[in-house]
Amino acid sequence: MAVKIVTDSLSDITSDIAEGLGITVVPLTVFFGKESFLDRVTITTDEFYYRLTHNAVWPTTTQPPPGDFLDVYNKLAEETNEILVVTLSTKLSGTYESALNAKGLVEKECRIEVIDSLTVAMGLGLIVIAAAKAAQSGAKLDELTALVRRAMTRSNFIAYFDTLKYLAKGGRIGKAQGLLGSLLSVKPLLTVKDGEIAPLTRVRSLGAGMDYLYNFITGFSNIEELAVEHTTAPDEADKLVERLSSTFPKERIYRSTVSPVLGVYGGPGAMAVTVLESESK
Amino acid sequence: MKQVDSINGQELREMLATATSWLEKSASDVDALNVFPVPDGDTGTNMLLTMRSSIEESHRTGNSSASTVAQAIAKGALMGARGNSGVILSQIWRGLAQGLQDKESFTGSDLADALQQGSTMAYKGISNPVEGTILTVIREASEAGQAQVASGSNDLISVMEATVNAANESVANTPTLLPVLREAGVVDAGGQGLYTILEGALRYLRGEAEQMQFRKPQMIASNIPQPVRLPQMAAIEEVPYGYCTEFLLKGEELNPDRIRTRLRRKGESLIVVGDETTARIHIHTLDPGSVIRYASSLGTMHQVSIRNMDEQHQDFLEMQKERAPAVDIATIAVVSGDGLADVFSSLGTTAIVPGGQTMNPSTKDLLQAVNVVASDKVIILPNNKNVVLTAEQVQSLTEKRIEVVPTKTIPQGVAALLTFDYEADFETNAQLMKEAQSTVKTIEITRAMRSTQLNGLKIKKKQAVGLLDGELLAAGDDTIDVLNKILAKLDLKKTEIITIYYGADTELAEAEQVSASIHEQYPQLQVEVVQGGQPHYNYIVSIE
Repeated sequence: MAVKIVTDSLSDITSDIAEGLGITVVPLTVFFGKESFLDRVTITTDEFYYRLTHNAVWPTTTQPPPGDFLDVYNKLAEETNEILVVTLSTKLSGTYESALNAKGLVEKECRIEVIDSLTVAMGLGLIVIAAAKAAQSGAKLDELTALVRRAMTRSNFIAYFDTLKYLAKGGRIGKAQGLLGSLLSVKPLLTVKDGEIAPLTRVRSLGAGMDYLYNFITGFSNIEELAVEHTTAPDEADKLVERLSSTFPKERIYRSTVSPVLGVYGGPGAMAVTVLESESK
Repeated sequence: MKQVDSINGQELREMLATATSWLEKSASDVDALNVFPVPDGDTGTNMLLTMRSSIEESHRTGNSSASTVAQAIAKGALMGARGNSGVILSQIWRGLAQGLQDKESFTGSDLADALQQGSTMAYKGISNPVEGTILTVIREASEAGQAQVASGSNDLISVMEATVNAANESVANTPTLLPVLREAGVVDAGGQGLYTILEGALRYLRGEAEQMQFRKPQMIASNIPQPVRLPQMAAIEEVPYGYCTEFLLKGEELNPDRIRTRLRRKGESLIVVGDETTARIHIHTLDPGSVIRYASSLGTMHQVSIRNMDEQHQDFLEMQKERAPAVDIATIAVVSGDGLADVFSSLGTTAIVPGGQTMNPSTKDLLQAVNVVASDKVIILPNNKNVVLTAEQVQSLTEKRIEVVPTKTIPQGVAALLTFDYEADFETNAQLMKEAQSTVKTIEITRAMRSTQLNGLKIKKKQAVGLLDGELLAAGDDTIDVLNKILAKLDLKKTEIITIYYGADTELAEAEQVSASIHEQYPQLQVEVVQGGQPHYNYIVSIE
């Protein structure tokens, strides 16, 4: 029986990829006032960003309840006796706790391993994809757990934000707090370090930001997988992918949009790239 | 005193429904306790939604045994858990349900046991339990319940009272255990939420459900006083504070209004309260003697206190220095002008040394700043060609490691500072910052000090002159013209942003005119106008 792979919607794994690789994505919830939406299920990214920029109501987000994971586990346990769950960083959300919590309540005999990826977005997505591919070719749970832990050290996520306003308001700014309050208009570049949002540097323009992302990627000589995603900047994302095509085959680049839940913090105009380095032999 | 020996499932459901309504009244207050940056925002709302899910589930079971209702409550919480606090709450109810297993109804000692199991289960459910949170509150509260039972009491109200009182103390104590709460000056939100639920349950047992409609739950205050918010460092001038003078004045026919009028001119923060026989007076003054002399002419003085606030302020600054986060790499910038100083501070400069074109700081000034910053690795941005050499002397005078990034203009300094890479080491950063200098061009517009001839230009005294990266390239009577002449010499095709820092002698309106004129000629550029407040230079323009 093949191991089943579960992650949360902050992995930014699109439904196409999820279907193709047999990944179950458990959605987080986004609230606009009393209205609640399941991330990427009952709200599309377009609808979400429209509301984010046009609504006076500030959205909030919350982790899936353990029951959601329990439902998934129970369903998957019909087909397998081993499940691997990889969640976004525990420093950014309690999703991991929910996933862990539901573990002991599964009715059938089933081994479940829950891993805190200490990263987010495609930083998490590419790790999950790697695990799902290995699971398809027959890797067992212990091998997959080890594979994920190794992949975590090779997943490099950085993001360009058009503004820090949303991140600051959402309370997840972490160590990037020092970037706030600039009297000049500056665009931050951020990464995730030890599970927390951390500052990298600042630029003054979109152009310089895109150069930074480009140089970041081309600085790697050993790219196994590459992902480019955005919140509301499809044209800029296309341009970046086009520019990268001499470095990495265009059709192999994973494209996605940043999930609403993360978009609450990224705000419009954000762009993120992830490099999964290949394993040194 | 009222006693409740035992309750059944129906009453358990009502008790928790009452507690949920009680929590609802303060959910937004609990939300407000959230410390920045805590994941999954709204603790009060999350706990409330979790409780509601529990209550709904408990209504689905027709059975009224305590055991069945408790199971339903645990299941509802599990399915509806929101946020970390919701998940922990669901664990508590799971433990409680285990404790009440097979019981039709339960007594005080049953409840104490069940809460104890709830506490154990809560700790088990969390991979990395942190003290000073809801976990501590449930543990200490349940221990108090156990102690009450051990002292021979089996009445539900007395067990619950002991539990609630302990929860109250435990919540107040959370900032002592958790630094992030201490810094924010709040108690733990999840702990407060749990306290409110327990307290609501107690009120139900006491039969107060009716009165609760008109009341609101108590928000527990931290048992540590609220810390003072720290202003930013790098004070350029010290404002004298004088003496904080306070005393009680006793006499006959005192007139507080008149005293207020008489003292108003003697200082600030004046407070005079009281009546004809007693008045309390508080004032910040540079001359406490004259205040005392006046007051003693009106009556007798008691509890006199005169404190030197400058000294206090100095202590405060010292404390602030100790508390300042130890930065791995410090940056020191030489800047003149309040606006520019603010710009550099806002971009994260560790310390600012005032100085610039006509007031170059001494090596000693720079050394002092180097000594003050809490880091062994210091990058200096001179921002002026006449300061570079001075800055380079500092290394020979200190044990700390110094890198001078030889920025010659303010825009070069800003560009260097922005490039700072939080992940890179000292040498790499110095290198990156040196490279960044060349990514920006600087135009400076000032007034000629004397008539002269230079670079083929005839310059009259007081005429506007323009420099591009330090080289004098244009002169004229009109400031905007001079600026345009220089802009015309540049290839702006690859430029994205122009920042205009206007000086102390320049009006914002004129600066905006300059901005509009640039925008008209180069509509693709983003133009930003910033108050620089620099002396002598009408404009410093950054082109990048």
